[in-house]
Amino acid sequence: MVTRIVSTLLVLTILSLVGAAVYVYSGVYDVAATRQHTPPVYWLLQTALRRSIAVRARDIETPDLSGPDRFRSGMRLYRERCAQCHGAPGVAPDRFSLGMTPVPPPIMQAGREMSPAEIFWTVKHGLKMTGMPGWDFKLTDEEIWDIVAFSIAVPNLSPAQYYELAGIEQNPPEPTQAEGADQASGDAEAGRVALLQYGCIACHTIDGVTGPDAWVGPPLRRMRERKYIAGVLPNSRENLIRWIRDPQGVDPLTAMPQLGVTEKHARDIAAYLYSLDDAGREMR
Amino acid sequence: MTIVRAPLVFVMLFVAVSGCDEGPRNAQPAVEGNPQAGAAAIASYGCGTCHMIPGIPGADATAGPPLGNYARRVYVAGVLPNTPDDLVRWIRHPQEVDPRTAMPELGVTEEEARDIAAYLYTRTGGRW
Ligand code: HEC
Ligand code: HEC
Repeated sequence: MVTRIVSTLLVLTILSLVGAAVYVYSGVYDVAATRQHTPPVYWLLQTALRRSIAVRARDIETPDLSGPDRFRSGMRLYRERCAQCHGAPGVAPDRFSLGMTPVPPPIMQAGREMSPAEIFWTVKHGLKMTGMPGWDFKLTDEEIWDIVAFSIAVPNLSPAQYYELAGIEQNPPEPTQAEGADQASGDAEAGRVALLQYGCIACHTIDGVTGPDAWVGPPLRRMRERKYIAGVLPNSRENLIRWIRDPQGVDPLTAMPQLGVTEKHARDIAAYLYSLDDAGREMR
Repeated sequence: MTIVRAPLVFVMLFVAVSGCDEGPRNAQPAVEGNPQAGAAAIASYGCGTCHMIPGIPGADATAGPPLGNYARRVYVAGVLPNTPDDLVRWIRHPQEVDPRTAMPELGVTEEEARDIAAYLYTRTGGRW
């Protein structure tokens, strides 16, 4: 009896190892950054990451983070080293980072939801397999704490206050790319990929697009029924496209940055958002 | 030019930072207000004719954005940081904050706005 169980277990183990090997070597798993994770895989990766950070940050002692010097030094370092990937209020990250999977989350959300010790640990050591560099050898601990001080304070600033403190002019509007006005209604499936590739999911929770549990901007649900786009434009396809391409041109106060979305991609994104029904399923 | 012009912002910052040093923060902004009274105020001002608000019967409209899980929002209406004071300010005077907004001034009092904010911050259930 016991040997029966043992041998069955052995066979099962061997079979699953063989299965895993076949899976890996066959190349079935798609590593393309343009393809989204499935929700279970994403959940697994994120949970492992969160837990790993939480456990390791437990014993780190947080120094006094108040004072304008820390904030100012942190803001300077952040703008030099981090804003390319993580953006800032009303300021888009660089183009390359928008296509990263996972997408670097905006510092405003991390600063609200992570403890100072967790941010410190993450910045010092970086995160394997995500694109987040470890800064241990490039920044001193004091400098990292300065960045932490900035990170936990910046969610309390409006975009306008941030521009003022950082001494930046508002993002100049992206030059409009001439593409020949495409009046077609857009390709919803391409729009879903565009939502990933422009990093929209770093700030918005969007049905059918796997991404972080992001609450920087409003969730993009039931867009077909909305009366207004961003509370300022009447909801129409053309206005939605206009907002996606030039939010700060429409509302200079908004925290949504100019992302350089092309006319075609904005049209595709609009097609995807309008294709969702009340429950967030795609209507076909 | 700018740092010099912004001492007030810095003062605000320290207030904001000083409360934040102990342990992980649970994204639940503290506001002095009564959530039950807030629910009643939401119903009487008809916020639900424009918004989807979890826990308020009939509040399932889409003129404005959904107000579920509001404690986790980083910005109020995309223009103010989501602090209790700024949320109260928005609820009372949206048009003062953003002259372009389609949200109307409803004459909500300071106390009612605090209660409403308390309600929105406690309703974290559900994704929307
Ligand atoms: C090359 C792009 C890049 C640069 C530069 C970069 N990061 Fe990151 N960062 C990432 C990515 C990607 C992640 C992982 C996102 C995930 O899966 O949660 C990340 C994660 C983080 C997180 C954890 C956030 C979370 O919610 O998981 C923090 C905090 C952070 N970065 C801060 C910084 C700071 C501060 C700097 C500058 C010193 C910096 N990063 C520079 C790409 C970058
Ligand atoms: C006539 C419709 C209307 C009514 C009534 C209304 N709102 Fe709004 N509300 C809007 C619109 C439109 C927006 C989007 C404004 C913007 O983003 O500029 C909005 C935005 C908001 C926001 C910010 C949402 C976000 O995404 O951050 C909050 C909070 C809010 N309203 C609360 C309330 C409360 C509380 C009441 C009742 C006292 C109320 N609203 C009544 C239309 C309305």
